[in-house]
Amino acid sequence: MRILVVEDEPKTADYLNKGLSESGYTVALALNGFDGQHLIQEEEFDLIILDVMVPGLDGWQLLQIIRRTSQVPVLFLTARDAVDDRVKGLELGADDYLVKPFSFAELLARVRTLLRRAPARESSVFEVADLQLDLLRRRVSRNGDRISLTNKEFALLHLLMSREGEVLSRTYIASQVWQMNFDSDTNVVDVAIRRLRAKVDDPYPTKLIQTVRGMGYVLETPA
Amino acid sequence: MSLWPRSLSLRLALLFALVSTLVLGSIGFYLYQSLYREIAWRDDQALQGRLERMHALLDDSASIAALRERPQLYGNMLGNRQSLLWILDTDGQALIEINPAGLAIPTLPPAEHLRFARLDGQTPARLAWVQVRQGERSVTLIAGKLLAERNQMLAAYRLKLGMALAAGALLAFALGGLISQRGLRPVRHLAARAARIDAQHLYLRLDDRYPVSELHALSQALNQMLARLEDGFAQLSRFSEDLAHEMRTPLSNLMGQTQQTLRHPRTRDEYESLLVSNLEEYERLARMIDSMLFLARTEQPKASLNAESLPLSELVEQLSEYFEGVAEDRGLQLINQATHEVCADRDLLRRALANLIANALRYADDSSPILISSHDRDAGIEIRVHNQGPAIAAEHLPRLFERFYRCDPARAESGDCGGLGLAIVRSIMQLHGGRADVSSDAQGTCFTLWLPRR
Repeated sequence: MRILVVEDEPKTADYLNKGLSESGYTVALALNGFDGQHLIQEEEFDLIILDVMVPGLDGWQLLQIIRRTSQVPVLFLTARDAVDDRVKGLELGADDYLVKPFSFAELLARVRTLLRRAPARESSVFEVADLQLDLLRRRVSRNGDRISLTNKEFALLHLLMSREGEVLSRTYIASQVWQMNFDSDTNVVDVAIRRLRAKVDDPYPTKLIQTVRGMGYVLETPA
Repeated sequence: MSLWPRSLSLRLALLFALVSTLVLGSIGFYLYQSLYREIAWRDDQALQGRLERMHALLDDSASIAALRERPQLYGNMLGNRQSLLWILDTDGQALIEINPAGLAIPTLPPAEHLRFARLDGQTPARLAWVQVRQGERSVTLIAGKLLAERNQMLAAYRLKLGMALAAGALLAFALGGLISQRGLRPVRHLAARAARIDAQHLYLRLDDRYPVSELHALSQALNQMLARLEDGFAQLSRFSEDLAHEMRTPLSNLMGQTQQTLRHPRTRDEYESLLVSNLEEYERLARMIDSMLFLARTEQPKASLNAESLPLSELVEQLSEYFEGVAEDRGLQLINQATHEVCADRDLLRRALANLIANALRYADDSSPILISSHDRDAGIEIRVHNQGPAIAAEHLPRLFERFYRCDPARAESGDCGGLGLAIVRSIMQLHGGRADVSSDAQGTCFTLWLPRR
């Protein structure tokens, strides 16, 4: 998967490059709008990450140029969290946006969502190691034992299992499970994870829910 | 409108001049008309008298012929060169003619009784005539007066009137200007005083003991505005100071920890935990900036509000689920007794309530209930969040909703929104036209949100 990053701030460009490369993507970097335009016209990309404020052609102009010829997914980054900016970006044909400062886990999650051409696996039964979740019967079992969960615990486990192997940030989890779209500055997510672990992981030797320090949580079979 | 002068005293002077021109003009016109009528009436009286005397003279004299021989009789009587006199026989032949201006004999309709007419032309004149019987024949007596002299006099009078009018208007303009200059002196004084007040001197006030009632009201209103400005300004500078202070703490943690770690080689784990600790501080800073931006945006007068009808019980239920785990950890019970519907922005009201509930969870006594209820109050709905816990001292209560205000300055918890949580609650309520209040006693602390009914 090839990703083009158009970003003039060297540190941001550098860590986006490193982080995305480490996550298995091929990254091309443009430090200004004209280089970005050149690369877009010369090469094929699966996703473009666009900073709005770049020298030369700005992000909006670049977005218009892209949309004239292609429907490649575009994620734009902006430091100005003004409603007008967001609306403008989405109207010009961007697929998603992130406001700086953003967490890298959040960025990766958005990138994965945009690159996932087919809709997420809409299966109703999820299985990771010996843990099973049946969406239709609202049933969870591990190693053959039934585990009873509250509604929100079930929703949380469903989210983690359907995104197996992806690190999910606390903000993202809060917005998906409780529709809390703001940082509530509480440890609600940590407490919920701890309570879920107590039921799902603690009685068993293999721990599936992992904490990624500083990033969030991921559910996967430990290596 | 561009011709209208910008100076108020000039405007007033012009208005003075305009008004006095109108008044003086009307009076002058009236006087002129009276004079004109008076003169015309006197002239007519004189003409009539002359005709009567002529008639008497004719009756006394034996014949017109005798009269013609003694012209000085009536010549003296006429006395000046402005007068005209004809005595005509039935054929229109002049028997006697005194006509210094050399006018043609006027043709006049017959008149049994005295008649007047005005003769227009090169030499305008006023004529009076009557037919009288003289013996067995009838003659027409015509007396007249040339109008030249009278017109000349009236013209001179008009000129004088006009000049007096112009002089009056000029005088009114000058005096009006002087008076308004004097009258507006307190305004200039007020302006000079107001000009001295800038950001550094916001404590200065305008003299509000003006003897002029209009200015008194004005200076009072300005003083009230200044008081509000001073208040806002003080709050703003305190806020900037607080902000700098709040950012300094995480920054000094970051710098100190990083420098301390870099002094010696460390293990991989130590580096990793440094980075994680740094990340926590970064997140704290990011959250603070987010909250600041949120506050700045909701405090804009034109901030947009997506108001809809919201059932409170559902909203509180959602929040109770969200905080369920945290509450249970401390044995706290969230009790939802909210029943009303309110008209509000869903996300904003949820955020306000979430902040209040998080606050209640933080300060509630262990194993106590937290009660969320709704009530009808003052043409609106009041939402109460009550928790049992130590009372908040009365002096803190009014300032609790200020940004960065903490009852205990030394206690800054990383979890409490950097002291902005309650400020956000208040500005959300203000945006909705409502208010946020708090009361506290030994029974516990109760935060109330009041929303007007739409």
